[in-house]
This record gives sequence, structure tokens and C-alpha cells, in this order.
Amino acid sequence: MTFAPSLPAHLSREDQEFLDQLISEQQDRPGMLLTVLERIQERQPEKYLPAPMLDYLARRTGIPESRIYNVVTFYALFNLKPQGRHTVCICRGTACHTRGSMRLLESVRLQLGLREDEDEGSADKLTATTPDGAVTVRTVACFGQCALAPVAEVDHHVLGHVNERALQREVEQLIR
Amino acid sequence: MSHRISDLSSFNAAHAAGLRKLMPGVPRIAIGMGTCGMGNGAEAVYHAFADHIHNLGLGFHLTRTGCFGFCAEEPLVNVLLPGQPLVVLRRIQASDVPALLDHLAAGRIPAELALCKIEEWDHITATIKYAAGQPEIPHWYDVPFFTGQKKIVLRNCGIISPIEIEEYIAVGGYQALYKVLIDSSPEAVIEQLKAAKLRGRGGAGYQTGLKWEMLRKAQAERKFLISNADEGDPGAYMNRNEIEGDPHSMLEGMIIAGYVTGSTEGILYVRAEYPLAVHRLQHAMDQARDYGLLGKNILGRGFNFDISLVEGAGAFVCGEETALIRSLEGRAGRPTPRPPYPAEKGLWGYPTNINNVETWYNVAPIVVKGAAWFTETGSPKSPGTKVFSLVGKVQNTGLVEMPLGTPLKTFVYDIGGGATHGKAVKAVQTGGPSGGTIPQEMFDTPVDYETLAQLGSIMGSGGMVVMDEDNCMVDVARYFVEFTHSESCGKCTPCRAGLDQALRILNRFTHGVATDGDLDTLDELSRMIRDMSLCGLGQSAPNPVLTSMRHFRREFEDHVRAHRCRAGVCEDLALSPCENSCPLHMNIPRFLQLLKEDRLEEAFLSVVLDNPLPASTGRVCQHPCDNRCRRSAIDDAVNMREVHRFIADSIYGTPRYEPLIEQVLARKLPPTGCKIAIVGAGPAGLSCAYYCALLGHDVTVYENNAEAGGMLRYALPNYRLPIEVIEHELELIRRLGVSFIFNTTVGRDISLNELDAAHDAVFLSIGTWKESWVYLAGTELRGVLHALPFLEAVNKDETTQLGRKVAVIGGGNAAIDSARTALRLGADVTIVYRRERKDMPAIREETEAAEAEGARIVFLAAPHRIVDDGSGGIQAIECVKTTLGEFDRSGRRRPVPTDEILRIACDTVILAVGETVDLDFVKASGLRLKEGGTMLEVDRHTLLTSRPNFYAGGDLITGASNVSNAMGWGKKAARTIDQALMDEFRWPRIWPEFKHSMTVPAHPSTARRHHNRELDPAKRAATFAETTFPLAPVEAMEETCRCLRCDIRADH
Amino acid sequence: MPNRISIRIDGELVQAERGQTIFEAAQSNNKFIPGLCQFKGLSTVGACRLCVVEVQGVNRLLPSCTTPAQDGMAVITKSARLNDYRRQSLELLFAEKNHVCAVCVSNNHCELQAYAQRLGVTNVRYAYRYPKLHVDMSHPRFVIDHNRCVLCTRCVRVCNEVEGAYVWGVAGRGIGSRIACEMDRAWGNSASCTNCGKCVQVCPTGALAEKGFAAEEMVKRQDLVERLATIRGTMNPGGPR
Repeated sequence: MTFAPSLPAHLSREDQEFLDQLISEQQDRPGMLLTVLERIQERQPEKYLPAPMLDYLARRTGIPESRIYNVVTFYALFNLKPQGRHTVCICRGTACHTRGSMRLLESVRLQLGLREDEDEGSADKLTATTPDGAVTVRTVACFGQCALAPVAEVDHHVLGHVNERALQREVEQLIR
Repeated sequence: MSHRISDLSSFNAAHAAGLRKLMPGVPRIAIGMGTCGMGNGAEAVYHAFADHIHNLGLGFHLTRTGCFGFCAEEPLVNVLLPGQPLVVLRRIQASDVPALLDHLAAGRIPAELALCKIEEWDHITATIKYAAGQPEIPHWYDVPFFTGQKKIVLRNCGIISPIEIEEYIAVGGYQALYKVLIDSSPEAVIEQLKAAKLRGRGGAGYQTGLKWEMLRKAQAERKFLISNADEGDPGAYMNRNEIEGDPHSMLEGMIIAGYVTGSTEGILYVRAEYPLAVHRLQHAMDQARDYGLLGKNILGRGFNFDISLVEGAGAFVCGEETALIRSLEGRAGRPTPRPPYPAEKGLWGYPTNINNVETWYNVAPIVVKGAAWFTETGSPKSPGTKVFSLVGKVQNTGLVEMPLGTPLKTFVYDIGGGATHGKAVKAVQTGGPSGGTIPQEMFDTPVDYETLAQLGSIMGSGGMVVMDEDNCMVDVARYFVEFTHSESCGKCTPCRAGLDQALRILNRFTHGVATDGDLDTLDELSRMIRDMSLCGLGQSAPNPVLTSMRHFRREFEDHVRAHRCRAGVCEDLALSPCENSCPLHMNIPRFLQLLKEDRLEEAFLSVVLDNPLPASTGRVCQHPCDNRCRRSAIDDAVNMREVHRFIADSIYGTPRYEPLIEQVLARKLPPTGCKIAIVGAGPAGLSCAYYCALLGHDVTVYENNAEAGGMLRYALPNYRLPIEVIEHELELIRRLGVSFIFNTTVGRDISLNELDAAHDAVFLSIGTWKESWVYLAGTELRGVLHALPFLEAVNKDETTQLGRKVAVIGGGNAAIDSARTALRLGADVTIVYRRERKDMPAIREETEAAEAEGARIVFLAAPHRIVDDGSGGIQAIECVKTTLGEFDRSGRRRPVPTDEILRIACDTVILAVGETVDLDFVKASGLRLKEGGTMLEVDRHTLLTSRPNFYAGGDLITGASNVSNAMGWGKKAARTIDQALMDEFRWPRIWPEFKHSMTVPAHPSTARRHHNRELDPAKRAATFAETTFPLAPVEAMEETCRCLRCDIRADH
Repeated sequence: MPNRISIRIDGELVQAERGQTIFEAAQSNNKFIPGLCQFKGLSTVGACRLCVVEVQGVNRLLPSCTTPAQDGMAVITKSARLNDYRRQSLELLFAEKNHVCAVCVSNNHCELQAYAQRLGVTNVRYAYRYPKLHVDMSHPRFVIDHNRCVLCTRCVRVCNEVEGAYVWGVAGRGIGSRIACEMDRAWGNSASCTNCGKCVQVCPTGALAEKGFAAEEMVKRQDLVERLATIRGTMNPGGPR
């Protein structure tokens, strides 16, 4: 199999060692590709999958690039773009929906001046990051916290029975 | 030190060590630290306990458990004092800890913090006996939320610590594995599972024993066992709690399966959104390896089995088994066609068995207790229990484990405690995006695999979301399709492109631009997606749509034909939540804003063009707008009713009135020459007459009384609605050119045929003046009065037979009005109502006012007989005390009579138990009645009766209702009559353009809701004059500044 | 065990070989079943769902391209319901992307168009989505026009299973799914493409085409790839997945 001849740019020695170790540790295990990608993303402060690392992963494992791209674009967890320093995550589970989570989402977007710019009906995940890279707003199918509906998560801190006001206050704290 | 268990003595040692941890001989405090507990602050509670125990030098045993299931009462804390029962404390906050520890150190448990106690707990694999005691704390099984629950799967959750393998062993854990490895043959275990008829708990319900048998028989060098913990159903979280609370039970189930099926590799596929579950599982696996229960040479029997954990990466479709396998192979989770089935060709082509998390939890109990024990619970086809997550609009939310076959109503009412905030439960959604909605009428349905499937739903993984009247079923269907649409893998056309089109059609419904044809297209498309899709996701994705269309078709039709979403969810179909809830659909934000801009005259014009009786409704409306106001999420609803009363009161009787009347008259459209007859001059008739006149028609109102106003004039007491107010409002209607013919009864003085011949359209709007029949001994006695004739007589200044001691029977507005009127006539009043206070249909403020004025209310008492005083009069009324029984169709608890008789001495009994319409003339005229024969049948959208040109509205088509609803019907009738007569939609021409600010207030007033002032109750009870006063101008102004302006949208 | 089995297709008793799918059995007996994703010699994916049939005794509809024919099976390939469902499937495909036949290089040589004509699709009941999709002209000889792609994944499979180059994959999911070259590169920059053109020849529509053709001019040579794929398939029974 032939790959791009030039060495991938911006891959530090440290990153390369990390990847080498991760790959040898996970080789031939079930779910290897998912686990490797999850670890790579977790390691980035901006929680995304940098292209050079994916290139290296393909070369090192022999997994076709097309398959890696397949996987990273299929699963909602993976990001190809850097994420904001803070995350506001709104649960769109059924219990939360019936208790008004859509309104929470709209109010946060409004507060941060984010618009849903995808086409109507696009299946892309509803993530948006403020231009200054401060806050990413995303949704999750369900936190499994339905008894606390509606639920939002601000920087991995769960807020149960949240209302627009309370959420706005939390977000204000982040962008201050 | 090695903990390896290799023989009975080392097993027993671990068992004993665990028991010492469970019942340590010192106080044991265990904090419920599932994700749900932590979301409610359990972590802070844990740290508070740790700090204080340390600082005070108390030798308490502090630990953590999983969730005990009652999520609404989190954080839960288990307390075990030596020699006492295990007590579960609820809603403990960190600030409670110091005081609580003082009590515990002194050997006391504060009963007021306790949820329940446990004297003995059946872990199925063992029974743990605690001491008896604490009589003031209820047993766990007597708490309604737990009554009827049978904890097999959740046997350990919330009791033992999930991070202590020894505690698991102490309650009988790994005993089943020991038994299988030492005594049983693999075949015997499979036979046992088959006899137990254990069905997969992931939703499809395939028999686990058969699946294991297939894997056992498969010949291959590698075989895989997979536990599917990719719980992605929105609204379901039972798997998460099971794992968080008791990870070892699942591991034990898998290890047994490994031995039985001859497989050596297990895989846990866990959702990445469940970090705590992942953490607990990893810890549990490490411990199990340490104890020789997992890995090589398990229990020293030469059996090898190990488990690896893989985190999913956020794809709902990976719950489908072939997609999950592709995902483990490092591919996108796109399902592949079956055959080949995973049992033949699964992971990397090897035979593979996949079971849902909950299925594994049933394995050890069946091995230990046997198949016969297991089939005792549940229904014959579906034995055992199922864990459901009961969430949504019920009081008690949480995880509930019930025998299969339990009726839905048990979940919603007995365990869930019914609806919240006095709303009515409308439906339950089961099975998440693959399931369907089941309407309230079908709550007798037993919950098992087959019955739910018959209703078009599925049990799925056990999500149960309760919906109430505030949930729009079109929106719910749209929500689920949006979900499956975004989770569709995109491989097959029906699911990928079909769901996209289905979502577009549903969006048209919620945006109010759908057509009748869209209903059919949606139906065809849904069936096609169901029958044609490749995998379970696509095949079941249309279920929410198909069931909603089947059970709630009216809501879909309302969205299309009336452009209305009754629940007020679909924002494009409403101006604002308040407007949507208003029976007259008044533009409330507009008049608030106009007043806020100090433009009182225009505010009045806006109000009076939206509502011809603004001062009357401003006093007596049931104000449904309050319940919808979004300001109430911050503090309280804007007092909209009082603002429009304020606006009307500020104009009536002032010099500003005349020019404004001229402005209203100027809105009148040119004469059309059409003649319209209106039967009944009550609120419905008056509002219809007003709008028909504004639209330029020639209107005549026929009324059998001598004056106009109907219930407003004759039934509402003067202190609530003074006659002068009605007169002001009638003047406007008269000046618009409406003519009234009084003292004329239609059907007697003039026939419907005559009306028909002389008019182009007839609107029937007679009220409910006929008393409902009550089966009560003694109603023939002197002193028995009916509420409406009594109120009417008082309003007309006629004499009544009212005595000194009055009993009023009923809980509606008529009952309260009668009671307050009787008080004003100097009587001593007792109201008797058969249900609870919160079930009373009367306006709450009115009930409170009656009590303040001295009326006594006896709840839960049903009249039994009126006692004769020997001379044809009344001596007393006897009532049977009732208790609350099962929930009835209205979602209220049914009063059940007891043996206790209550005797209330009185000389007068006022019956206010409901009124009906006198339909005699209708029957004679041949107009079609609704089923049941107490109401007239009309087309819901046009209000046309079965006779051409005859329309009807108000009580006649709904049964006894209230003023605003009646006016709403009249207004609607005017619109549809005009459209039918003129063949054109002229309705909006009535309103001038009001220009006012359309920006959202950046800083809405922080003032609290203003209530109107009332005269002191003692003074109030002595007068028929009006005693509640309008808001002061500054208060009204402040209310307008409290409005959040929901009518302004971001995209406008 | 005899290698010949008998099955009934639309009432007629026909012979088939053991191991054949229903689709193959029907084809070898000249019975028409539509199918867009199926391609002789490539693995089956059951994605387009046009080939579903009714099988007596089975409640569900079964995709004939992945269901093995079994002795004594009674198959219905045409019924009012099947016809309606197949038509709806085709309409969904037409509404999903921008299939403008008149200006398409594959006009009159297009499988999608041919099925639509044969199954009587005269109008589309759904709203056209009119997505704005990319046309990648970067390759010196070929072009990929996502506006005409029906996501049958024949190109992906032929590239993986016959050519072994792994150029193509399916990116995204749901309605946002699309064919992508490697790590979403322009085709012309692909490092792994061998320029063999097999993907172009197997494409049922005008989504993949050779450059330099005008409307109606692109005639695909499926037979060549079919032969190659079949030889490979027999050399490597079971085929790569």
C-alpha cells in the first residue's frame, strides 16, 4: 500500500511515542481503533483528532485512511476540529425534551451568539463553538439522568432540573 | 497478599470478610453515589461525612453504594446503627451532616429524614437480616414507590458497595459461579435457563437459553460473549444504574456463560457517556481477577475466561448487534444483513453471543434458585421482572423493577404517584425511539413483550416516559424521528432518505404548514420505512409516528386544519404561550406592551377587539394563561388577567370611553346583508354576536330571560361581578347594532325552522341551566336548593328559602359561589366535597376566599342522605367519609366509601354537583347528539352541526364549562360562519395595525407578581359589593414590565 | 446432497443452485428483480432495498440479494405492496439528491432511471431536498459528482475487494453520508488510487464518470468488471467483507 510520501507535519516526537505505545498496547484487541481514537482525542487539550496523528495512525497500523475517516466521521464522540475550552452540553433525551430542553439549547445559543448553520435536516451533530474558542455547545442523546430532567452539563458538572435562568448564569461565569 | 479463591474455605473467608463490612458493629453510613445521586450533590455529602467523622474522631464505617432507585428523593443515605434496622435517609444535603452525625453518635436516627427502613433484605442469592425497630419509620415495601416492586435484577443496588467484591460475595455473589463450576454441567445450566424462559432484556425478547445453546454447539477456535451496555435510548438509564450499583452481578453472569458456552473471551461494550459505569466495571474486573474469579484458572478449576472493555463512541445504532460487532472490528457501526447471524459468523467471523446488560443479572438468581422459582414471577410467556426507568411528568421518578405483565396504570399512578402540578397524564411512551405512545385510555395494558407490540409499541430497554397535557404528541413524534434521523447510519435508502422526508413532513406539521395530504404521505412513508429497512433501527423508527397517528390523530388534524397546538409546544402555531392557552386567543403580549408604553387607549382597543367582555373576564376568568407563563420559571406568572381588568376599568365610566367606542365602531366592516340568529345571550352568544356585527352582518340574539348576560348576570354573584360592569360591556355590543329579542324561548316561542327560514346562519349557545340529577335520599325536603336557581334568585333580589346552617355539596365554582353568597346572607356554611382539596375544580383563589370568610370545607366526604326533621324540613346531612382509592380516568384518585358516617347539622342543603344543558328542543329538532346524548355533535373545526347553516358552541357542545371557554367558542363560530357565508377569510380585517416595540426586554422587572387587594375577610362577608380591587396603576405597569415577551422570536 | 434445488418464483417452479441467493436464482431464470447495490462478484450489502421480496411463511419482507434460496421456498417478486414500496424507494432517491437526467452523462444508460421507468415512477411525492453537493473534477481522467450518488457503495467495494486500493469510503452518517476519498482528499491528490477506473464502470448512475463525455454519452462497461470480480470471487470464496 502506498501513502503520501512526505512525512506528516507537526507530529512531535512525544506524540509519535505516545501513538506507538498506544498502538502496540491495543493491537489485535477488539475495538482497537475506537479505543485508540478515544485516547488520542482525550489527550488533546482541545479534544479533537489532529490530522497528522490520524495520518501516522494509518501508516503505522496499515488501516486504510478511508476506513479511519469513515470511523471518525461516523461516531458522534469524535471531533475533527478543535473544541472550545469550556463545554456546555444539553441533554436531548426524551425526559429532558418533554421538560423543555430545546428551549435551554436555544437560550444558550442565543446567549453565546451561536447559530445552527448546518442545513435543515443535516445529520451532523449539533455542535458549535464560539469564534474565540471559549465555549462549545453540544447536545447529547441522553445522559441517562432522566430523573433530573432537564439536565445540562457545564464542563462535566451535571446540573439537574435546570432552567433557562440558571443555565444563563452558569454560562456567564464561563465567559466572564 | 493474594485473595485468590480456590476452595471452599477461601470462598468462605471472603464471605465472612464481606459480612464484617456490611454489618461492621459500628455505625455504617453508605452514600448513594450513582450518577443520579452525584447529580444531586451526593459527592458533597460524602465529603461532609468524611470530614466530620474524621474531625470528631468517630469510628464510623463510611462507604458508598449505587442507586437505590428512587431518584426523585436523591441523595439517599443508608444508615445502619448496630442493633437497628437499616434506614434509608432521603434528600440529605451536606449542610444536614453535622446535626445528623450528632444524632447518630447518640444512637438516634431522625425519623423525619427517613424514607424507609429495611429489617430484612432478600438478595435472592442470600438473605440479610438486620434488627427490627424504629416503629415510626415505614418499611421500604410500604412506601408507595416501592410497593409491588420485586428486586431481582436490582437485588444488590443501593445496599452493597459496588467497589467491594467481598460485600458482593457476602450477599451470595459468585456462589452461582462456584456451583456451576463445581457441581453443574453446562447442559444443565442451559436447560435451567430454557425452563426459566428468560428472555433478552434488550427489547427483542429472544430466549437466552436458546442463544447460549447455539453458541455452545458452534464449532470454532474462538467464541465471543458480548455484553451490550451501549444504552442509547433517550429516556432509559437502567443499565447505567445496574452497572454502577452492582457490577459484579453482570461479570458473574458473563463468566457463567463463558463456561457454559465454551467461550473464553468476553467483551463489555459500554457507552462512553457513562464514565462512572466504565470506572466501576474496570475496578470490578481488577478485583475479580485478584480473587481468581476472572482470568486464568478460575476458582482453580482450569477454566479460563477474561473480559475486555470497549467504550462506544456515540452511535445509537451500535445497540444493534451487527453494528456493534462492526464497531468492535474497528469499522463504522453500520449494520449488516442477517443471515449470517452472529451466532454463526460474528466478531471477525467467529460465533458470537450478545446479551443486554440486564439479561446477565438474571443468570445467577436462576442458577441459585432454579427455574421454577423464576417463573413464579411475571406472566407465563414473559417470566421474571424488568427494570423500567419511570421518568417524565410523574411525581416519583426513578428506577422501578416490576414483574412483567404489570399494568401500565400501576406504574403511572401507584408507583409514579400520578401527574405533577395538577395536570392530567395523557400518555406513556415506552421503548424510546423504537417504541410508541400509549394513551391514557389504555393504561390497563399489561406491560410485556407481546401486549406492547400489539399496540404498536415495544418494551425496548425499559424506558417509560410519562407525558401530560403540556406535551404535544406531534412534537413527540417529531422529536423521536429527529433522533433516529440523526442516528441513522445512512446505509439503506428507506431509513436514510425516508426518515429525512418523514422529519420534513413532521416539521411541516409543527410549523403549521402541513396539508391533509401530508397525513397520508406520512402514513405511507412510515409503513414503507418499517417494512423495508435493513436493521431494527429503521424498522422500528416509524413506531412513534404510527402510534401517535393512531392514538392521537386529532392532534395531527388540529395542527393542519385549525393551526393549533393545544399543548402550546409548537411555537409557530402560537403567538406566545399565554395567547395559545387563552380560550379567546387574546394577543396578551400586545396589550401588555402597549400599556407599558403608556398607551392606555390603544391597549384598551387591543383588549376590547380581542375580547368583548374584558372587564367581566378580567374578574372571573379561570386564567389558564398563568399556568403557561414562562415568567413562572423565574418567579411567578405575570398577572395578565388583572392587567386587562385594569385596562378595562380605567376606561369604563370615564370620558375616554366615548371616543374609544367610536374607534371600535369604525372597525365595523361594510354591511353584508347577511342575517345571523344567535340563540342565547350568554358569554358564547354575546361574543359571537359582537364579532358577527363587527364583520358587517345583521345580528339578532334570542334570549329566554328578560336581560342579556346569561350566567354572567344570573349565576355569578354580585361581589365577584357587579351588574354595572356587565352593563358597560353590553352597551358596546348594542351600539354595534346587535338586536336582542328577550323573553323568547327557542323551541317554544319560535321554532328552529322559523329561525332557519329567516336567517342565513344560526348559532346555538344555550347554557347549562338544568340541574344534574343526584341520587340522594331526601332531596324532596324543604330547604334543599340547587345552586344555580339559588344564585339567580339572589341576583334578582328574590327571596330564597335559605336557613341559618347551610351545607353546600360540591367542589366547583358554583359550590363556592353558593357558599360565599350564603355567608353574605348571614348563614353558617359548610362545604362538603368528596375528593381532596387539590382535586377541586373551583378557582383556587375563590376557595381560599370562602374559607377566609368563614366557610368550613369537609373533604373526603360523600353525601349519603339528607335527614328529615320530622316536619318536611332538614335536620342534618349524613356523609360517608371516603378514602382515596385507585386513580380514575380523570387521573384523580377515586373516593372510596368507608364505614365512618359524618353527620352535619343543617337546615339547608345547596346542591352544586353539576349542571347540564336542556337538550329537549334540540332532540325535537333532529340535530345529531354526541354519543351519550348529553351534548350536541359538531365539526370540531367549523362548529357546524348536523344541520346546514346551524352552528353551535359553548356548554352545548362541551358540557358545563366557564365564561372564557364559552366566549372562545362564540368567537370561533363568528369566524367560521363569516368564512362560510362570505367564502373568504375576512377575519383579520377587524384589527387595526398596532405598532409597538418588538425587542425583548434586556432587563425585565425583577418585581414579584402583584396581587389585587381585597377587603378584610370579615368585612367582605358582610357585603355583596365588590371587594377585590383592581391593581394600582403602578402595579399594573410593573406587571407589564415583568413580561418576557415570548412573542418575539430570534428569527424575526 | 444434490446441488440443484427447486423454488417457486411468482408461482412458477424453477431450478436453482444450492448456495445461490434468491436474487441470483431469479436472475438465472430470467425473472426480474430490481437492485441497485447488488453487483455480481462483489460482496452484498442489502442497502438499496429495491430487491425485497415476499417469501411464503415469513412475515417480513426479505432482501433477495442476501437471502439464500432454499429448496421448496415460494417467493413473490411482484405485488402491489412491493411495487409501491419500490417506487417509494426510488422516489426517495430522486428527492434526496439532484438527479437531472437531461444533462447527465449517463442519461439513457442509467440504472436508476431505467428502474424508475420500468416501475412506473412518474412523479415524486416527496419534497426535493436540492442539496448543494460537490463535484470533484481533480482527477485527470475521472470525475465524481455527489449530486448523482445513490450510495450503493459499489465503488467502495470494487476498490476494496477487487482492486485492493481502499481509496473510497463512506463518510458521515444518516442523510449526511457521502462517498469520500481517503481522508477526504481531492481525488486527484489521492496517493492510493491506481487510476484503474473500476469504480467508474460499476457506478449505476452518472455519479462516477470519465471526463470528456457529454450528456447521454457515458456507457459503462460493467461486464468487464463483473468478469474480473467473479474470477476473484471464485478464487477467494466467501469474498472479503
